[in-house]
This record gives sequence, C-alpha cells and structure tokens, in this order.
Amino acid sequence: MSRQFSTNELEQIIRQYRPIIGFTIKKALGPQYPEWEDIVQDVLTQVISKLQKGEFREECSLGTFIYTITKRRIIDCIRQKAKASSEKIEEIASLGGPEEDFLKKERAEIISQTLFKLKPKFREILYLYYYKELSREEVAARLGLSVRQVSERLYYAQKILARSLRKFFPEKNSNFALLRRLKK
Amino acid sequence: MSKCRFEELIDGYLLNKLDTEEAERFEEHFFNCSRCFNQLQQREEVIKAIKEHGPALIREVKPAQSRLQRWADEVVMIFANRQWLVAPTIAAFLIVIFLIFSPFSKEEPPSFVLNGENVLRGQAINLISPIIDVNQPPLYFEWKKQGEDLEYKISLYDSRNELLWSSTTKETVIILPEDIRKKMKPGEKYSWQVKAISSNGILVAVSSRVQFMIKDEN
Repeated sequence: MSRQFSTNELEQIIRQYRPIIGFTIKKALGPQYPEWEDIVQDVLTQVISKLQKGEFREECSLGTFIYTITKRRIIDCIRQKAKASSEKIEEIASLGGPEEDFLKKERAEIISQTLFKLKPKFREILYLYYYKELSREEVAARLGLSVRQVSERLYYAQKILARSLRKFFPEKNSNFALLRRLKK
Repeated sequence: MSKCRFEELIDGYLLNKLDTEEAERFEEHFFNCSRCFNQLQQREEVIKAIKEHGPALIREVKPAQSRLQRWADEVVMIFANRQWLVAPTIAAFLIVIFLIFSPFSKEEPPSFVLNGENVLRGQAINLISPIIDVNQPPLYFEWKKQGEDLEYKISLYDSRNELLWSSTTKETVIILPEDIRKKMKPGEKYSWQVKAISSNGILVAVSSRVQFMIKDEN
C-alpha cells in the first residue's frame, strides 16, 4: 500500500534530506564536479515527484528509498562523465550563502584550535591515522602501542573535538525529527 | 542514544578504505540514521582540518597566534570554564544595546527600492531552487533561511510579469499547487521572488526576482 505525504511533510523531507543527498553526491562525484548542486536538485525533484505519485510503498524505509534514487543518479553521472571528453573542471562556489560559509569557517577554526590544544600523544595518533592514513595496526606498530590503546586515544580525541563543537554550536533540533515521526 | 554499530565505519568511509559493498551499505545506513550522519559530517570536518595542518600537528610549537587571538582565546576559556557567566554577560550586553537604541529613536523599517531585479537596500534572501531553466514546471520552491520567527511570502510571475500565484509560509520551502503547475507551459519564462516579514508585520528582507524557463519539449 502506497504511503501518502502531506505538503508539510514533503517540505520537511526536502529540508532534511538535502544535506544528506548533497554530502553523498559531493563525495561520489567530487566537489569540483561542476553540476553537483543541480544533481542534488534533480534528485530532490525526483524524490518529491515519486512521493506525490504514491510510489513509496513502505517496502523499505524512507531513507533507503531516497538513497536508492540518489545512488542511481550518481551512477548515471559517472557513466556520463566517463563518456564525455575531458574538460577542465573549474571549481565552483558552494551553494551556501555567506552565512553558511561563515559558519563553516568558524567551525573549522574551533576544530583547529582544539586540535592544537590536545596533548602531543593524541595529535600524533590523529596525524598518523588521518593524515598518513595508516591502519590502527600500523599506527600501533609505529608508536609501540597496542591496537586497543590506539583506538582509545583516537576515541578520546574525537570526543574532545565533538565536545568543543557542541559547546560552541549546540544542535537545536535533530535533522531527523520528521523521520522519527514518519517511522511511527 | 546508544552507540550505533555502523559508527566504526565512519573513518573507513571518509578515507575511502571501505570496499564498494560496505560503502554502499554505510551510505544507505546514514540516510536512515541521524546519529551516524551527524557524526559523519563532524568527522569530515575534523579530517579536513587534520589534512590541512598535516605535519604541523606533530610539531611541539603551536602555530603562531596574534595577540588579539591569544586574548580572544583567554576570553573564550573564561566563559568555557565558567558557563554561568555567559547568560548574565549576554543579558548585560543586550540591556546596554536596548538603552542606547530605543525607545527614543524610532527605527524606520528598511525601505526596499526594487529596480528590475536588483535590490538596492536591505538584506537579500538567497533563492535555492529553481534558479536555472527546468525540464518541467517546478514541484517546489526553496530559499535560504533568513532568520528566526519570520514569515515568507512567495510570488510567482509569468512572462508578462503578471502575478500567477502567491502564498505565505513559515518554512523555507513550499510545494507548488498542482493547479498552478498545470498552467505553466513549456517554452515560457517565469520569475519568482520571496519576501521575509517579521512577526510584527515589518518587511525585513527581499530576494531578487529570479527568472527561469520551462524548456521546450522539442
């Protein structure tokens, strides 16, 4: 049986899934892909159109339904990209306005400050694991630690960074408030 | 909220260490899991910062800071360790602002002089979609949030600049009613504009009027 959505719910879905669709497309195609924002628009339009036509039959979750549409679109883009002649892809400005860019810069600044306030033993782990992209086992071997110790230090550093962001940017509402309501 | 078992895949996903099947499973998962998506976004920011700083992270000396930055750090630390100070400080600041600027000076609402598509004064609302030519009449209109507690008035015009439809909403997205969509023709140009109105009825921001065309089927 197909699920019907109110106009309000559809509007909420657009707002809440835009960042997730954007994140996935940007990762798959790269932020330099010239039309990734248009692709996000296309996907959202497709999602809303299908929901309005009653094509969501709750055989899977709403998130999975939207993910499937997003994934198909990404595959189409990759195929088109492979066929197209090579062109110089210029970097484009982000869709976010000045307010969003400012927020991103503030968050980046907080993260940087917190990183440098960490003790050297934590910074070293972060450097080897994220910058050098070594595995936990390789990091452990390099530093003469157990894998468990590496995991604990990573986890601690991540907690500190998350806490610093929460302190300055407390989240008001979960992005998924609607999703939880829709699941009921 | 208890830990999600997919959280351990976040690093692998961001560092492209997962195989295709694992990555797709994780992607499908974060479309359904708020905790993982929020963590994912945060971790991406952290990894980006680490990659930017690189070897500087493991040097003992911190990057040079200006005096202003050090002072700012001290102020931040004071408030971070004494969170009870934040509310009274903000309250005091607001009281000072209030005393300086009102009630004696009557603030005129910002006047907007619109010349074609240009907003000459006041804040401009950023429109998100549709802002380029489209294959079919748009299903929805979306714009950037301008502030808290605002109502938005959207107006849609045809190629002769006649009002086709308008509506108000407190959201930043609105579905175009089907009866209006059916009136929109391929090959025709349309334009739309959004105004933000405060709770006491004052116009606080306007977007430029953005034009789009519904592409001809031929």
